[in-house]
Amino acid sequence: MKKNTYIRKILIGTPLIFIIVLGLIFVDVYDSRPILNLFKKTQSDSALQLVDYSVDKPASSKAMPAVNPERNAYFGDVHVHTKYSFDAYVFGVTASPDDAYNYAKGQGISHPLGYEMKLREPLDFYSVTDHGFYMGMIQAYADTSTDISQEDFAKPFNNLNRPENLNVESAAERSNIFSSVLANAIIQPNPWWHPDTLKAWFTKNTQRALNSFDYDIHKSAWSDIARSANEHNDPGHFTAFIGYEFTTSTDTEGGNLHRNVIFNSSIASIRPWTRIDSLNPEDLWTWQDGLRDKGIDTISMPHNSNGSNGQMFEMETFKGNAINRAYAEKRMRNEPIVEITQVKGTSDTHPLLSPDDEWADFEIMDKRVGSRPPTYSKPSGSYVRQAYQDGLTLDFTKQGNPYKFGLIGSTDTHTGAGSFDESNYWSKVGLLDGRPSNRGSVPLNQAQGKLLEEYMSAFNQPVSTVELDQGSYANTGFTQWGASGLAGAWAEENTRDSIFKAFKRKETFATTGSRIAVRFFAGYDLSSIDLNADSLVSEAYAKGVTMGSDLMNEGNKAPDFLVWAQRDKNGAALQRIQIIKGWIDMNSGTPHEEVYDVACSDGMSVDPISNRCPDNGARVNINDCSISQDAGASELKTVWNDPDFDSSAKSFYYVRVLENPTCRWSTWDAIKAGFKPREDLHETIQERAWSSPIWYVPAASDITVIPLGGSIAIGDS
Amino acid sequence: MKAKIFIFFSIGLLVYLIDIGLNPDDNAKNIYISDQEITSLISAWKSQVGRNPTEDEIARIINNLIEEEILYREALLLGLDKEDRIIKRRLAQKITFLKQETLTDKPSNEALINFYELNKNNYYIQPTFSFTHYYFSAENNSKARSNAAIKLILSSSSKIKSDPFFLGKNFIDKTKDEISRNFGKFFSSNFNEISLDQWSGPFKSSFGHHIVLLKDSKPGYFPLITEVLNQVEVDLLAAQKESAVTTYIDQIKSEYKIIINPDLEF
Repeated sequence: MKKNTYIRKILIGTPLIFIIVLGLIFVDVYDSRPILNLFKKTQSDSALQLVDYSVDKPASSKAMPAVNPERNAYFGDVHVHTKYSFDAYVFGVTASPDDAYNYAKGQGISHPLGYEMKLREPLDFYSVTDHGFYMGMIQAYADTSTDISQEDFAKPFNNLNRPENLNVESAAERSNIFSSVLANAIIQPNPWWHPDTLKAWFTKNTQRALNSFDYDIHKSAWSDIARSANEHNDPGHFTAFIGYEFTTSTDTEGGNLHRNVIFNSSIASIRPWTRIDSLNPEDLWTWQDGLRDKGIDTISMPHNSNGSNGQMFEMETFKGNAINRAYAEKRMRNEPIVEITQVKGTSDTHPLLSPDDEWADFEIMDKRVGSRPPTYSKPSGSYVRQAYQDGLTLDFTKQGNPYKFGLIGSTDTHTGAGSFDESNYWSKVGLLDGRPSNRGSVPLNQAQGKLLEEYMSAFNQPVSTVELDQGSYANTGFTQWGASGLAGAWAEENTRDSIFKAFKRKETFATTGSRIAVRFFAGYDLSSIDLNADSLVSEAYAKGVTMGSDLMNEGNKAPDFLVWAQRDKNGAALQRIQIIKGWIDMNSGTPHEEVYDVACSDGMSVDPISNRCPDNGARVNINDCSISQDAGASELKTVWNDPDFDSSAKSFYYVRVLENPTCRWSTWDAIKAGFKPREDLHETIQERAWSSPIWYVPAASDITVIPLGGSIAIGDS
Repeated sequence: MKAKIFIFFSIGLLVYLIDIGLNPDDNAKNIYISDQEITSLISAWKSQVGRNPTEDEIARIINNLIEEEILYREALLLGLDKEDRIIKRRLAQKITFLKQETLTDKPSNEALINFYELNKNNYYIQPTFSFTHYYFSAENNSKARSNAAIKLILSSSSKIKSDPFFLGKNFIDKTKDEISRNFGKFFSSNFNEISLDQWSGPFKSSFGHHIVLLKDSKPGYFPLITEVLNQVEVDLLAAQKESAVTTYIDQIKSEYKIIINPDLEF
């Protein structure tokens, strides 16, 4: 009898223990907590709450221009910060979103140092994209009457931007606030039993649990940004997008993963979804998918991959998992375009990644964004061209292609006003780089040198100057910044919807500030089009696909590429058009690239051996920045065939248009101040434009990649 | 002798008493804050922050005001307002506003009409042009080709061999400013002389040469005052404000004598 109970106990007990152990393993491995999940049913998601921010305004008296089915090139900037950004406010910026939109429409507005910033020609579209996290809060710290300004963490911000405090001398203090105080101020949670902590949990709104945060102030800033965009949006004439920046990064290395989010509507979420909600970009896309389910379409646009230490375009996910098709599709659904160029450098490619591209050493910014002291950012994984190649390799291993994006430029200005013009440059961080001596283009006098030393030691950078022939120069990283970043979009009309759709289908291009426009088509019968006929564009649309598209294979046929670029009438003439081709070897997935010149200025033709145009003789006079007037083209166009075409290889093609050389901003700064340009910087640059790529899709291959140790698990499922 | 000392003493006492009587120190240390001042401060705060201030915050708003007032008065006692550029500028600004604000009356119809007549040019509706063109690229001998083309097109109606223009063929209802944005300034300046329905040119643009057929031109016109009444009123008030200050300065300037060193070198 006794024996029997033992056996029974063992018989019942063993499977029970087994089930419990299995359960524990399951919970541990899959991180799913059933009890917690039950509780989660009681939560609501505040970030998915929608608010209509539209404004009542009288209908525009201007006539609506006709829709152009062949599409117009519109130029804009979709990366602009105002006083509502935590850092911009610290940099002395007091420009509001209204000021920013007025600037885009052609009005002059004031720089924090007092001078006027004005565009040579108005822009067609603009978006104020302040940092989402802590949006509007620093202003409340500075206003000494708010409750929050009385907290210890807010004291250093009190009265920060009162007129008497807006001066270059305050740079050291500002830098200190930016680098150390701010970081400490923003991570102070309330205790778990605090009502705000519970509200945070029940409404999935983590920031409310932070004692340095006031939700009402935050919402008020966001609604002012949305109102301003709606007020300035003028269908047919000027487009303004509601937007913000999702300012995330990897934890330890500080790899920049910043993205701008814009809305295609006057309705938007009640608050921006920020890095306090999650550092993981995948969670941002989940939120965007959630908004899309509610009928609100958004896109996010990564920028400064150059400062990501290789983490913007990795071969694995944020959490270190393998990329699969679901990931690739989700990423491409939410971020169809990438900002390739801006003030903080250009992310086309790096000389170490493209040793055979003579134009690769262009406005390289090789530091991680916001790192203190400025820390090297590794090129691999940080540049667009390599991402396109890696995308093909991921596709080769049947993991999907998460890097099939189009291109735009934008400035990332923090003064409300984008700086596009080398000869009239104010960089981007207000009081910190608003003067040539501060950004390192003219020598420092003694007092300035002393200030800079204080400033930079607060910024955790031990060495801040460099001794050169003409004296001591600031060497703080600003020399790697530049007057860059315009977004171009091919759209039927200048309305929010039309331009947003151009972004989504990637019919976009990027320029370094010049208003170069470029058309790009691929097809199998484009050589039959008369390049000198007025029907050129309509035929190209009819017979081919345009930038941002896939070109499906037609057996072994080689495609024709049609490209047409027009100069900026206020800039330099065009020097050449290039097509950059990337492809992978279909036996091994090894990436390759090649740069072809396809059209040359001044009636010259491409050397078929070197694939290069001859020198057109355009020169810059470094003493006064004048340029040759008789060299270069007002427009260039051609139909091109790939001499090395392989119909079985996955490939991509994108256009790069180069202007004749002109003076870089640092040269302009120097000669205006009566100095020679600094010898360790490029004296001239070649302004340029890039189109979004066209991807050639070969017939499906039946290659299955088998990794060491067996068949790959990620597949077609 | 004693009597003299007494007289001097009583005169001194009298002077002392008069001095006290004429300088009631207590009043100078009073700070009056009106209800209106507080409500206006609070409503400004609300629009900035996005919610009503808490009790503490109201206290702090008022406290900031009081502290500012105290510091201000003490600074005045120390004479810190003398020779301060910012204070001078601010006071100059204030009298400017004062002079401007005395004129907030709604202007009469007569004044509006007069103002409109005087400043008609500001309300001018720009002429627009609708045209088509043949483009000859600067890359391909544009001058000679366009010269040949205009002769050809004027003599017969045979087809012209031209280049496609990047921004298209037909331009509808464009003002001169818009034409300048697309073609460059020197190109748009030709539109004054072009006659309708007749090929003209060639005209140089930033991209080559063009021969142009003007299909339609809507002349510029001065709108009726009723069409732009709101704007006229806004502008008139602005102009009145501006002139109020300049006339004020002109009146008063003659009373001042300006002394400046003519030999200063800098």
